[in-house]
Amino acid sequence: MSPIDPLGPLRSAGRRVTDPVEALAQQAAEHAVSLVDVNALVERVDINALLSRVDINALLRQVDVNALLDRVDVNKVAERIDMDELVEHTDLGAIIARSSGGMASEALDAARSQAVGLDQFINRWVGRLLRRKHPGPAGPAEATRPAASRELTRGQAGS
Amino acid sequence: MIVHQLPRRLVSLQGQYAGAASRFLAYALDLVVSTAVFTLAVAALSFVIETVTRHSITWTAGSGAATAVVFLAWQFFYFGYSWAASGKTFGMYILGIRVVRADGATAEPWRGILRALAFPLSFLLLGLGFIGILVQREHQALHDLIAGTAVIYAWDARAARLRFLAREAETGPAPGQRQARAR
Repeated sequence: MSPIDPLGPLRSAGRRVTDPVEALAQQAAEHAVSLVDVNALVERVDINALLSRVDINALLRQVDVNALLDRVDVNKVAERIDMDELVEHTDLGAIIARSSGGMASEALDAARSQAVGLDQFINRWVGRLLRRKHPGPAGPAEATRPAASRELTRGQAGS
Repeated sequence: MIVHQLPRRLVSLQGQYAGAASRFLAYALDLVVSTAVFTLAVAALSFVIETVTRHSITWTAGSGAATAVVFLAWQFFYFGYSWAASGKTFGMYILGIRVVRADGATAEPWRGILRALAFPLSFLLLGLGFIGILVQREHQALHDLIAGTAVIYAWDARAARLRFLAREAETGPAPGQRQARAR
């Protein structure tokens, strides 16, 4: 014979009352949220006052910078840097100018770039004379890889 | 100050086949340097012999032939050793070009020596062996084909462009350079 719970009928009666009330409260809350303009609410928030109450240093102490950097592709980030702009608009340009070469490297750069210009001029004309539609390979496969290019220029002092 | 332009497009030329002008200028420079060194060496040798023996030396037709043979041997050493040791001669260094294997890998020393041995063949038939530099897609001359080599741009154009921009940032662009830079 199973024992009889004396509070059972009371619980059952309570559930019958609370379940519809809970559903009603849920609907009322959703309706209230839909009535609120969140953007307008955010506009009224003083972000500066909020930030002044935040201890950024304490927040940063909790950040694992190494874990964060592990997730960043630094090469991709570096590729997006416009070196021309960087050199022109920062002190980096002055540092490079003072530390690398003088008249000699300037003369070498000039001679080489002029020779390359002449090469391209000749190549264009030969291509026209031979009526070439495709210019052919730019360079040997091994030498045009980025890593190989760095290897080739290693030891090219003053270049 | 030398005013020149270093357009952005040059940066991407690294590792590409070098053209006829760069190669010819490099060779002309090498010829001047190697001949000057040889002449100085002969003059120094003559001076030493004259000082030691107290007899003046006169170069006759016969000695001219001997000198020519020694000169050719010196030329072979100058080019062969440079290509075998580093893939570039002095002139090639100045023009920023380099000899590599036909597939672009670093050339083995024996290829440099073979290239130097085959080099005179390109002069035969009015320099027909050099035509490949102009018309061939890989810009290979006869001696390149024999040695299995190619000549590429090896100068650090990126660093050169940074130097150019840095100088410009310090001194300000020369007239007309602003547009050329962006090309």
